[in-house]
Amino acid sequence: MRLSTASCIAAGLIALITAASGTTAVAQTAGNNRYFPLDHRIPGRAIQWDRAIRPHRPSYMQPVRIELPSVGLVVFFDGSANRNILTQAPSQVGMLVGRTYRFQISGMPEYPGANLYPTIELLDRLHPPNGREQDFPIPIQFTAEEIETALNDRLVTKVIYLEQPQWAAPLEPGHPINVDDLPPTANLMQAADRRGRAMAIVRIGGRVPTTRGGGNSQFYGDLAPVITRTFDRNSPTAITPAVTASSRSTQATRRPGQQFGQKLGPKRSPAMVSISD
Amino acid sequence: MKLYFLALGTLLVVCVGCAHDGQQVFHKNEYHAPPAAMLAGPGPMVAGPGPGVMGMGRGGRVYGAAPAYPAQSTQVRFLGPDGMYVGWKIGDGFAENQLVAPGRYNFPQGSMYRLKVAGIPGRDALVLYPTLAVYPSHPTTEAYLAHNSIPLRITDEDLDQIETNNFVTKVIYLPDPKFQDLAIAGVEELVSTRLDPSLDPVHEADRRGTIMAVLRVGNMDLEMSAPAVLGASGVEQAGNVVSVNGDLGEHAPPVAIGGIDAKGSGMPGSPLVSGPLPPGHPASMMPWGQPRSSTPIGLVGPPHLPYGRPASLKSHTVRNLSDVDLPKPVDHMLIDVRHEPGISLPAPVKHIEYLEQHPVYGPNEISYPPAGY
Repeated sequence: MRLSTASCIAAGLIALITAASGTTAVAQTAGNNRYFPLDHRIPGRAIQWDRAIRPHRPSYMQPVRIELPSVGLVVFFDGSANRNILTQAPSQVGMLVGRTYRFQISGMPEYPGANLYPTIELLDRLHPPNGREQDFPIPIQFTAEEIETALNDRLVTKVIYLEQPQWAAPLEPGHPINVDDLPPTANLMQAADRRGRAMAIVRIGGRVPTTRGGGNSQFYGDLAPVITRTFDRNSPTAITPAVTASSRSTQATRRPGQQFGQKLGPKRSPAMVSISD
Repeated sequence: MKLYFLALGTLLVVCVGCAHDGQQVFHKNEYHAPPAAMLAGPGPMVAGPGPGVMGMGRGGRVYGAAPAYPAQSTQVRFLGPDGMYVGWKIGDGFAENQLVAPGRYNFPQGSMYRLKVAGIPGRDALVLYPTLAVYPSHPTTEAYLAHNSIPLRITDEDLDQIETNNFVTKVIYLPDPKFQDLAIAGVEELVSTRLDPSLDPVHEADRRGTIMAVLRVGNMDLEMSAPAVLGASGVEQAGNVVSVNGDLGEHAPPVAIGGIDAKGSGMPGSPLVSGPLPPGHPASMMPWGQPRSSTPIGLVGPPHLPYGRPASLKSHTVRNLSDVDLPKPVDHMLIDVRHEPGISLPAPVKHIEYLEQHPVYGPNEISYPPAGY
């Protein structure tokens, strides 16, 4: 069997081009489908990984701002379930990064008698200019839809992330936080990591502490300390927890194109299978 | 012929060069690792820390060992019928009327409880003694149980089935994400129309998600007066029965009647669910059949067969048939860094010439200030 010189060279070039293009396609696929070990479904897992990666990370009190649909009360538990700190929404406190907090929201005129106990898993911190830490809190907004879902004993999970500046949507300061509703099978931590830096995981459901029986000791979690500050209303950077306006002053000082975003998790509900024999 | 071998050699070099580690051709650069929940365990069907566990430093905490909110209790919310009284078994007696539906209570996990349901509106004479199996939290249900209660409702259809000598089993589970749409569509309580009677609701719920609680209701009367037992002296012996009535302000926590895989529960045993030992079992003795020996890959070992029988097991072989394709560790690391555009700065100063010139004046060119001397 004899082959011509041209056919042999052509066969070699075709093989080279095919192999090179196939390698490029495989590399791109592998870059987009990396394995992401963290998940939003297991409470505390992301914090545990962070502690393992950065065991000597200094403690930092990150300001967190809780906002309700309109007005209401926010009760924090400072080191003990019996040590309550009552504030009015929107409420801003300092929370330790790497800890999980449970607090109570109530007094909402849209939902009379409703008491909910959401949790915040604070994953990371911001890096504001010195002396202006209180101007850059992590905003956590509870919408009416989320509260109604929690009152129906469904679980709402949100991952709040800081957008990457080069990928941030060009929104005006004061624009509401972007909320993307992802399907139940999505990994919110991975979605937040692709869009920016995950800051906190917020979960809200319908479980409340009971007046009788056990189980309340674990309900409040590790009861990490919180810091509340009394601000001077005349100060230009003061943020008073009792202010009922939106976080306009906060978002006005934030750099354009670096807005907070939220990933809204699946609304999970238990299902019941029943059968009669 | 030489050109033929040249072309063949070129093709071989190209293929080998692009598939230098043998993965690009056959595996298409796909890598697989277990999900995060499975990394916390030593292997399939085994709980506890394992090879995927990373130490947490001096604190000694490991991944998966200490969740942020250890939901060691499950909050059960009895939705109805409204006005129904719920009690539970405490030792030899019952704590009656502990809750009035709608009400909620935190039950410790991993145990089975005997409830007492009475005072159902419209069925005043009906007293039921269902069992409630509260499953331990799983990584998939941990967040839900820490933030939500489990709704539990006994419907009129359930009661009709029970009064006609039928046995009703309710399984409350959290569906897997892939079944979540189906679960949300049927989140209401369904009885017998939800599943074919030939299906086991526990198995079906376990297939669809993670079980959190199982309620089994029949019409057996557990407080039926027993025939009088007369002692040798002819005196009726009174039992040491404790009774607590919630209407009188008396409350007592429920006492588990066993683990959720206790004998008689009708529930298949699960290696992940151990629960407390059944009543009467010596605490120092291992339960019958519980594996105690470990294997190198984390699977359970042979079952323990106590009670004095001679050892019969001569061989126990566990074969790991999983495909293992682990790359070799990196021995030399090379990182190429390049700026675009590159760094270009002027040459640093290496010579400085400093010259001071002072004016020189003659004798008649200087004018001193008046007070200068």
